[in-house]
Amino acid sequence: MNDFRTPPSLATEALCMGYGPRRIIDGLDVSLPDAKVTAIVGPNGCGKSTLLSGLARLHKPDGGSVLLSGEDIQRLPSRQLATQLALLPQEAIAPEGLTVTELIRFGRQPHQGWLRQWSAEDQRVVQHALLAAGLEDLADRPIDALSGGQRQRAWIAMTIAQQTPLLLLDEPTSALDLGHQIEVFELVRHLAGHGRTVVMVLHDLASACRYADHLIAMCDGKIVDQGAPAEVVTPQLVRKLYQVECTLLTDPDTGSPLLANVRRTRQPA
Amino acid sequence: MTPRWLKPEFRKQGAAALLSSAPLTSTAEDAPVTPPSGYWWWGGRGASVLIEQRAVWVNLGLLLALVLASIAYLCLGSLALDPREVIGALAGQGSMMTTFMVQELRLPRLVAACLTGGAFALAGILMQTLARNRLATPGIIGIDNGATAFAVASVVGLSVSLAPSAMALTGAVTAAVLTFGLAAGSGTQGYRFIVAGIGVGAVFGAITQLLLARVAIDTANAAYPWTVGSLNARAGGSVQLLAVGLALGLIAALALARSLTILRFSEATANGLGVNAKARRMQILLLSVVLTALAVAVAGPVGMVGLIGPEIARALSTPRHVPVVAATLSGALVMVLADLAGRTLLAPIELPVGIVTAIIGGPWLLWILMRPQRSHA
Repeated sequence: MNDFRTPPSLATEALCMGYGPRRIIDGLDVSLPDAKVTAIVGPNGCGKSTLLSGLARLHKPDGGSVLLSGEDIQRLPSRQLATQLALLPQEAIAPEGLTVTELIRFGRQPHQGWLRQWSAEDQRVVQHALLAAGLEDLADRPIDALSGGQRQRAWIAMTIAQQTPLLLLDEPTSALDLGHQIEVFELVRHLAGHGRTVVMVLHDLASACRYADHLIAMCDGKIVDQGAPAEVVTPQLVRKLYQVECTLLTDPDTGSPLLANVRRTRQPA
Repeated sequence: MTPRWLKPEFRKQGAAALLSSAPLTSTAEDAPVTPPSGYWWWGGRGASVLIEQRAVWVNLGLLLALVLASIAYLCLGSLALDPREVIGALAGQGSMMTTFMVQELRLPRLVAACLTGGAFALAGILMQTLARNRLATPGIIGIDNGATAFAVASVVGLSVSLAPSAMALTGAVTAAVLTFGLAAGSGTQGYRFIVAGIGVGAVFGAITQLLLARVAIDTANAAYPWTVGSLNARAGGSVQLLAVGLALGLIAALALARSLTILRFSEATANGLGVNAKARRMQILLLSVVLTALAVAVAGPVGMVGLIGPEIARALSTPRHVPVVAATLSGALVMVLADLAGRTLLAPIELPVGIVTAIIGGPWLLWILMRPQRSHA
C-alpha cells in the first residue's frame, strides 16, 4: 500500500558538481525509482556522497540540475523542499541534552510557523514516528544516552516526522556494529514498504545487496551500472569498483547476491 | 519483513496504521491537543502557540534579579541612599542633592550598564550559536578589539571626526571581515575561524596600544577607559543609539529564534529541515557584529560579558531552544553587578567595569574549560 499517492520523482539532468576547480561529477543523468530503496555504492571518492548532497541541495551544482517532479530544486523555497525531501546527514550531531521526543519534534519544523507551533497533526505524526521507529520506551531519554543503533533510529524518526515522500540517508550505518546496522536497515525497508522513496549512500556492498531494491554503482563520478542487485552485481563490477576479486553466491533466503572469497586483485606490475 | 524491534501489539496491527501519512483530516484537526510536557499551549482555528514554562520563569526570575540589582546600584556608592530616598528621587520628590545624584549620575550609568551588558551577551549567544562553539564570542574573535581600535583612533584624533559609534561600527565590521576572510573556506565553524579571530584581535589590540603610545599623555589618559572597558566616560548619543539598536536587535533575534534553534544542528541537518542556513548565518553574524559595535561605542571592550551572560542563560534554560532573552537579561545583570562592585569595593578608587568582569570572567572561563561534561544517565 502506498501512503503517498503520487510520489514525487527525483532525477538529475546533466548534473555537474565539484569543489572549486575540481570536478567530481560531470554530466550525470540518473533517475531514482519511486517507493523503492536505492543504494548508491562505489569506492571512496567516487562522488556518491557528492551526488547525495546535490540531490539534497546542500551543494549547488556547477551545471545541469536536480529535478523534483520535473522542477529544478534550486528554484524551490527551502521550506517547501523540506516537506518533499528529508535528509539524514552523516554523523548528525544533536544539541547536548535533547531527548528523543524533542529531537523528533524538530522534524515538524517545515510544517510549522510562528502562528502554527503545535497542532493535533504534529502531535499525531510525532507519536507515529516514535512508534514506527520503535522508540516509544525511550521517548524521554536524552539522545546522548542511547546506543548507536537507537540514536540512528531516533534521527530517522525525526525525518519520518518530517513526512516527506523522499528520504536521503548518507551512510546511515557507517559507525554501527552489525546488530545496530540491521536495526537501521530494517527500519529503512519498513519505510519503503509504505511508499517512501529511500536513497542511501552505502560503503558496504554486502548490505546494499541485501537491503536495496535498486543499486547505483559509481566510479570516478560516473555511473558504472544500475539496476536490481541480483542483475547488477557481478565479479567484474566488484573488481572495477574496489579492485577486489570475489566469488558470487546467491543468498538462499532472499535471493540477493552474496560476496564470498573476497581478496585483493593482483596489481599488474 | 516486520522489524523485530516493533512491539508485538504493533506487529499484529500492521505498521501501516502507524505510518499513515495521509494529509490532514478533519478528525486530526478536531482531536484534542496535548502540548509537549513543560509547555503552555494556546490554539484554535488553525493557529497555535507554544510557550515554554521554564523560559517564562527563568526570564521573570532574571528580570526580578535585575530590578533588585538596579535598586542596589542606585542606592550604593560614595553617598549611600535609602531605597525609599531613591524611589522618591526617581519620582522627582527627593531633595535636590539626592535627585541630582540619582537622576543625573547613577540612573544614566545604570541604563548604560543594562544596555551594554544586554547587547554584549546577546551578541555573544548569537555568535556562539552561529559558530556552534562556546568560545566563539565577539570578544574572543577580535570584534571588540577592532571596534575599540577604531574608536580610540577617533578619540586620539587621527584627523577623522566621526562619532565613536560610527567608528566602532567601522572597526567591528573590519575585524569581522578580516576574521572571516582569513578563515575563508572553513566558514563559521571549527577552530580555524576562532584562531583567525584571536589573531585579528591581537593585531587590533596592538594598534590601539600604538595609537596611545604616540599621543600626548593627556590624550592617552582620555582614551584609557576605552581600552579596558568602562562606563565612566560615555560618548554623547552613543547610549541612545545602543538603546534603539538593542531593542531592534532583540526583536530580530526573537524573529530568528526558530532558525537559531535549528542552526545548533549541523548545516546539513538545518538545510534538511528547511532552514536556509547560509542566509540565516549571515543575518545572525551581522546582528552580532552591529550589537557588539554599538556596545563597545558606549563602554569599550567588556567582552567577558558576552561569554558569561550566555553561560548563565544556558545553565538556567532547557536545551530545547537558544535562550536569547535570558542571555540578554543575564548580561545586563552581570554588567550592573560588576559596575556596582567596581564603583564601591575599593571606593574612592573606581575600578573600570572591564577589569571587574575580567577578574570574574577569567576564572569562569577556566571553569568552563575544566568542568566535567554534563552526563545524562
